[in-house]
Amino acid sequence: MAELSLQHIDKIYDNNVQAVFDFNLDVKDGELIVLVGPSGCGKSTTLRMVAGLEDISRGKLTLDGRDITQTPAKDRDMAMVFQNYALYGHMTIYENMAFSLTLRKENPNVIHKKVLAAAEILGLTSQLNKKPAQLSGGQRQRVAMGRSIVRNPKVFLFDEPLSNLDAKLRGATRREILLLHKRLQATMLYVTHDQTEALTLADRIVCMSMGHVQQVGTPLELYDQPANLFVAGFIGLPPMNTWNTAVREGYLEGPGFTCPLTEAERGILAPYAGKEIVLGVRPENIALGEDVTLQVTDNENLGMNTLVYGHVGTGQRISAKLKGWMEYRGGDQVGLSFRRKHFFDKDTTNAIR
Amino acid sequence: MTEINDREIQLDRMRYVKNTASSRLCYLAILMNVLYFVSIYKSDVGSWYYQMLTGASIVYNLLFMLMAFLASEGVKNYQPNYSFLLYGLGAGQIARVFILPLQAHQALVKVGSEETRVMGDGQFIRVVLYLGISAACLLAAALINQRKCAALSGHLKALEAKEAA
Repeated sequence: MAELSLQHIDKIYDNNVQAVFDFNLDVKDGELIVLVGPSGCGKSTTLRMVAGLEDISRGKLTLDGRDITQTPAKDRDMAMVFQNYALYGHMTIYENMAFSLTLRKENPNVIHKKVLAAAEILGLTSQLNKKPAQLSGGQRQRVAMGRSIVRNPKVFLFDEPLSNLDAKLRGATRREILLLHKRLQATMLYVTHDQTEALTLADRIVCMSMGHVQQVGTPLELYDQPANLFVAGFIGLPPMNTWNTAVREGYLEGPGFTCPLTEAERGILAPYAGKEIVLGVRPENIALGEDVTLQVTDNENLGMNTLVYGHVGTGQRISAKLKGWMEYRGGDQVGLSFRRKHFFDKDTTNAIR
Repeated sequence: MTEINDREIQLDRMRYVKNTASSRLCYLAILMNVLYFVSIYKSDVGSWYYQMLTGASIVYNLLFMLMAFLASEGVKNYQPNYSFLLYGLGAGQIARVFILPLQAHQALVKVGSEETRVMGDGQFIRVVLYLGISAACLLAAALINQRKCAALSGHLKALEAKEAA
């Protein structure tokens, strides 16, 4: 059992800079929560507060109902995996993994069993006599995870563990982390700025910006029902296309184009009749059609799909992910339709539903 | 049953954990030798130590430290042959008691009209103790290494046989 609860957590530094504002989250036992957001949004600070590496300025942190707000890091029963692995270069992999238990003066035989079990899980058994410098980045990150596993902590904390790896290795290690989570069924908090990692790993995602939580939900919720323009723009690659539009009778009027609305969309936008809203359409929700015309500037063939860039009306450059291999040239005009539209309040940037 | 299991684990640990017991004993032996080295010339009366034997002793000291350190690294990695080097160095330390310290302890030198012993009883006991401890450490390190190497070798063979089966 490891249920973590963060209640009204604030982080204010000595120079009065506030990094985290009123952070609330209940993490269930065995859940993998990913904190995602751009650099400087407060996600690592939040993780460090949970780990006990940063003081909590205001609020309460509980683990299984026990208040650990003021508990020192070493007594929180949490293990953290860092971006830079933090391995001891002069020690072998075995010694690195056994180190925390050796410090606790555990029985050497027990340590041996735990290290071998962790190495087996992570596929490191044949590497135990090597030094970190002899391993690849992915293997080193696995050693860092192994060092956490042997401690059998209540909560695992990952601070951008894949950032130092190349794209291929990142994908492989990401799958390993997912398998590890399924195998251990442990409570995990994972920080990343990579939305792909967040979408593929998380049971729930916490999307942050400027120290504020923007949305908490499953990956599908964040992708399909973004709470506001920030989440809509941050989750999804390429990002969602947006236009400032005016709500008219049965259609939206954008800069130099109009877009018809369905019956259901008209109902949603009824309170905004005559007002300006933000229309958002994901590139993958755009298909060949007749609703609007795209003035093509360039395109990228990705094999299964073609990313077409251009302008609809006089608005900013947008992207459309069309199925199949298409060949367009700059200046071509392509008829498109929006299969799924998102609407946002222009003033509050919140989603209109 | 548990004892047997524990013994198994201890053997298996040797695959990944270095033989620090032997290597640390080697370091202690080197330390004792250094103490011997800095203690023995304290009682130079009438320049008695200015002889070929002392020169050879200094050269041997340097060689000893070099070889003992080399052996400490060898035994750390369960290299059985380094045990023989350590046995030799240990025997050498015992033999050294009968060369320079004993001779200096027995030698009498005239200072003015009085005859004085080059090395007094107190200093003699001290240097003999240093050499004795150094020798004991080296011999113990060699013995421990030999036994651990044999045990590890047997364990690895058993593992190989198990894998083959």
